[in-house]
Amino acid sequence: MMPAFYYLCLSFVLFVIGTAGVLLRRNALIVLMGIELQLNAGNLAMLTFARQLGDEKGHAFAFLIIALAAAEAAVGLAILVSLFRARQTINLDEASLMKR
Amino acid sequence: MGADSTSGSLLAPLASAEGVIFAILSIGIVAMALFCMTRRNPVTAVMSLVATFFGLAALYATLSAHFLAVLQVLVYAGAIMVLFIFVVMILNREESTLISLRGLPTRVLGVGAGLYLLLVFFQIVIPDVVTPPAPIPDSYGTVASIGNILFREFTFPFEAISVLLLVAVVGGVVISRSNRKEKDAVDAAEKRLAITHLSTADYPEAAEHLEGGEPDDGHGAAAGGGGHH
Amino acid sequence: MNAAESFNLRLIPLLPFLGAAILILFGRGFKRGTVVAIAAGAIGAAAFLSFSAFFQVLPAVAEEGGLRDVVWKWIAVGNLSIDLAFRMDALSGLLCLIITFIGFLIHLYAAGYMEHDPDYARFFAYLNLFCGSMLVLVLGDSMPVMFVGWEGVGLCSYLLIGFWYSETANANAGKKAFITNRIGDFGFLIGMFLLFHATGTLRFSEIGPLATAGSTLMVPYWGMPLAFWIGLFLFIGATGKSAQLPLYVWLPDAMAGPTPVSALIHAATMVTAGVYMVARLHALYVLVPALMAIVALVGAATALFAAIIGFAQNDFKKVLAYSTVSQLGFMFVGVGTGNFSSGVFHLYTHAFFKAGLFLCAGSIMHAMSGSGDITKMGGLRKLTPWTHGVFVVCWLAICGVPIFSGFFSKDAIVAGAFATEAFGTGNLAWVGPVVGSMLLLAALGTAFYMSRLYFLVFSGASRADHETQHHIHESPSIMVVPLVILAIGAGLGGFVGVPGGLLGHPEWNLLGEWLTSSVGPELEVPHNTEMTFMAISTGLALLGIFLARAFYGGGYREPATKFASSFPGFVQLVRDKFRVDELYAAVIVRPLRGLSVALFRIVDRVLIDKLLVGGTAAIVDLLGRITRSFQVGDGQRYMAAFAVGAAALVFFATRPTLPAHLKVNVSGTTVTVDASRAGRQSQRGLTYAFDFDDDGRSEVTGTSPEARYTYDKAGTHTIRVTVTDPRWHTESHIKSEIDLGNGGRN
Repeated sequence: MMPAFYYLCLSFVLFVIGTAGVLLRRNALIVLMGIELQLNAGNLAMLTFARQLGDEKGHAFAFLIIALAAAEAAVGLAILVSLFRARQTINLDEASLMKR
Repeated sequence: MGADSTSGSLLAPLASAEGVIFAILSIGIVAMALFCMTRRNPVTAVMSLVATFFGLAALYATLSAHFLAVLQVLVYAGAIMVLFIFVVMILNREESTLISLRGLPTRVLGVGAGLYLLLVFFQIVIPDVVTPPAPIPDSYGTVASIGNILFREFTFPFEAISVLLLVAVVGGVVISRSNRKEKDAVDAAEKRLAITHLSTADYPEAAEHLEGGEPDDGHGAAAGGGGHH
Repeated sequence: MNAAESFNLRLIPLLPFLGAAILILFGRGFKRGTVVAIAAGAIGAAAFLSFSAFFQVLPAVAEEGGLRDVVWKWIAVGNLSIDLAFRMDALSGLLCLIITFIGFLIHLYAAGYMEHDPDYARFFAYLNLFCGSMLVLVLGDSMPVMFVGWEGVGLCSYLLIGFWYSETANANAGKKAFITNRIGDFGFLIGMFLLFHATGTLRFSEIGPLATAGSTLMVPYWGMPLAFWIGLFLFIGATGKSAQLPLYVWLPDAMAGPTPVSALIHAATMVTAGVYMVARLHALYVLVPALMAIVALVGAATALFAAIIGFAQNDFKKVLAYSTVSQLGFMFVGVGTGNFSSGVFHLYTHAFFKAGLFLCAGSIMHAMSGSGDITKMGGLRKLTPWTHGVFVVCWLAICGVPIFSGFFSKDAIVAGAFATEAFGTGNLAWVGPVVGSMLLLAALGTAFYMSRLYFLVFSGASRADHETQHHIHESPSIMVVPLVILAIGAGLGGFVGVPGGLLGHPEWNLLGEWLTSSVGPELEVPHNTEMTFMAISTGLALLGIFLARAFYGGGYREPATKFASSFPGFVQLVRDKFRVDELYAAVIVRPLRGLSVALFRIVDRVLIDKLLVGGTAAIVDLLGRITRSFQVGDGQRYMAAFAVGAAALVFFATRPTLPAHLKVNVSGTTVTVDASRAGRQSQRGLTYAFDFDDDGRSEVTGTSPEARYTYDKAGTHTIRVTVTDPRWHTESHIKSEIDLGNGGRN
């Protein structure tokens, strides 16, 4: 293992990239992918600390996070499909009915 | 930053073999992540995200998290991303603009805030002195030991997550269920439109009185036979 | 004194105001007779009260300042205390008599003149309002009360000149009168302010005694005593109200109003307000000979100037208007040469004969179907005999033919101008004779143009067309009776003021006697001077009449037409009133109008409409837009706000805290600084760096918030403390200045 702070910096960088994607993109699919990136960044941090402290509970937690991500992706994509059926678009700018 | 005086010793681990592997992996991961977030084509984005996950799995392996590395590939890259690809195939639309322009100042400000937090994070996380990781047994990160934990200490979260998955499945089905009435209405409307197109080709004057638009000249000959109901 | 105090002077102006109020509120429903009864009744009652006050009560108390009636305390601010109070002494009493009596006659005349006018009640309401204001003006006990009346008559003048306001020309004439008056009023106000500044009081009874050579009024400013400036500004107000140069331009235009209005306001009463004011403040004016010189010279110049213009006017009322301006000039010469009683005397005689002349004009215009063009008149002597008779009397009075009233008053002024000692024997001594000579010329001119008017209107054959000729008739008796009464006054009124020097009996000058208590004694004119000037002025009057007869007797005669054709340009110039109005329009009115248009465009349209009103709305809109943008349901934007909030939290929560002020203890040259902050946050883990002389290097560093340091020398030093949080790598600064010299702390 490298020193912990390497992994932690990488994790935060990934998180920021994911956040930037979520904030700036207008394709809903890409936004969901950004959320997946954020979750993975959290996972990486979790595993880093698990290794640093020698505690395997972090692994179990990361396992649960992966399961959660799966559930969330499924439901999110279902919503996306439903949105597409209603508005004929997955472009978040066009799909919104509210004024600017 | 307190690391300035000891920066030499902080970056020293990069020189070893492990460091090289880490460097390659991390650069790959970040590059693929950036790539993913900046693609217009959703298929390309999904593929690069899969690549990111592979890299991450390898990184997990360097962290002695073997079970999770495999899990990452199987579940994340294998199942979740496949789900994404299914949806991408249904809805494949390429973007015209990369970035959403609605309320751009607020979003840019948000990204800026994120970068600021990144800077603060670096300042906090980078230590003056590197503490070595705790010693780990050989069974660290194996299926058996993780399973042990999952079924003993983490029983309740484990059961809860299975309920969550059930809820997600049911929810997915319910949300994406098509509305029969709506579907029938859409079908009926399309049929009416087709009839209009066919019949107004013969009688252009009647086109004004019907909704839908101009008579379609191209169907004149073919409509003559099948247009009368 | 009791009779004096208890006489209700307030009723004299109050009754006309009451009449005006009733007529304005309810007058439209009254019959004609009722309206006249109310209006004439109000002014008649005021006349009755004035007469009883003047003849019965006043003589007893004249020496003590006359009758006084305090209505209520009006202004009491700091040093300024003004009551709404009325005072009748000889001067104001005389003017009250004139106003109410002539006002009453004119009310009767107007009852007949305005018979066919639909706005009957409004007219009489305004007339009563005017009389009330004028009475307030003359009865006022202090300058502010006088100013209230001053403004009131200005307003009524505007209302009455523009009475037939549906004609734009009439409305414009009213506007012109009001605005020109306003310019004068500005001068009046400044004079009033200066007067208060100098003397601390505005009551006439208190100003008089204060006007002595050593008082605050004589303090010099820019070379002249303060009294000079006060009097000058007040005189500017007088030139506006009394139509002298340069503010006379409104009076000829004011002839657009109904003739009774011209008679009352612009002949007998309002225009004399300026003369009254100068006479009232005579104590102030005699202090500064230069000021008197200005008054006299302006008056004389106006008299001459207006007389010349009168030569070429073709409208009956315009001739009379310029004649009024000219005669007012005579009055100002009278008061300007220190001969106050003669000025007031001329005011009194002028009121009678000018009102008479104006009412004759009304009669003639009535006969000529409303036209006042004298080029089309002629031969009215036989057709309107009563009017003719009255006109002759008033004409001879104004020309200054002996026995008639104008002769005595005019001669008093002229002789007084030559005999006055008000200008001393120094470098202003020339003013008296010069002014007197100008007046003699003006008198000649007066005789000429008034005779021209007489001959063109009444003598010879009629030059009107047949249609008009058929309608010529004498006026009804309700109009003729006041005319006759005025003629009697014009003819015989002069005998109350026979100058003392004439017959060697000063006590026969009743008017002078009466006025002594108010304006000082009559000017002593040597017998010889008196006789000389009487002879000269009589001769000039007869010369003027003779010349006019030669030019215009029986119509336009050869000398007139030859003169007109030889000097056409000059004649046209005079007929155009020397184009003074055009000059004012070009020099003053047009730039002002341009300025106001520019201001309108810049200030109104751009600054107020676009920037302030539109700008405020735009800012509100912008703020609304910004605030709204946070709630559009855009999840990504919410997340961005979340991130910004988190960053802000982290930023502000991680600064190490410092107290607002450093606690510094000084003993000698040693200071102890304590940078701890009592309360919430623990100070463990923070690093403090103390820089005691602000040179960038920290003398003391450590984890303790307290530090002690000894300076080498005394004086002011700056202490800068920097605290660092090693965990978050953030720092804060605080600076404090201390002064070791006296052991204190900032």
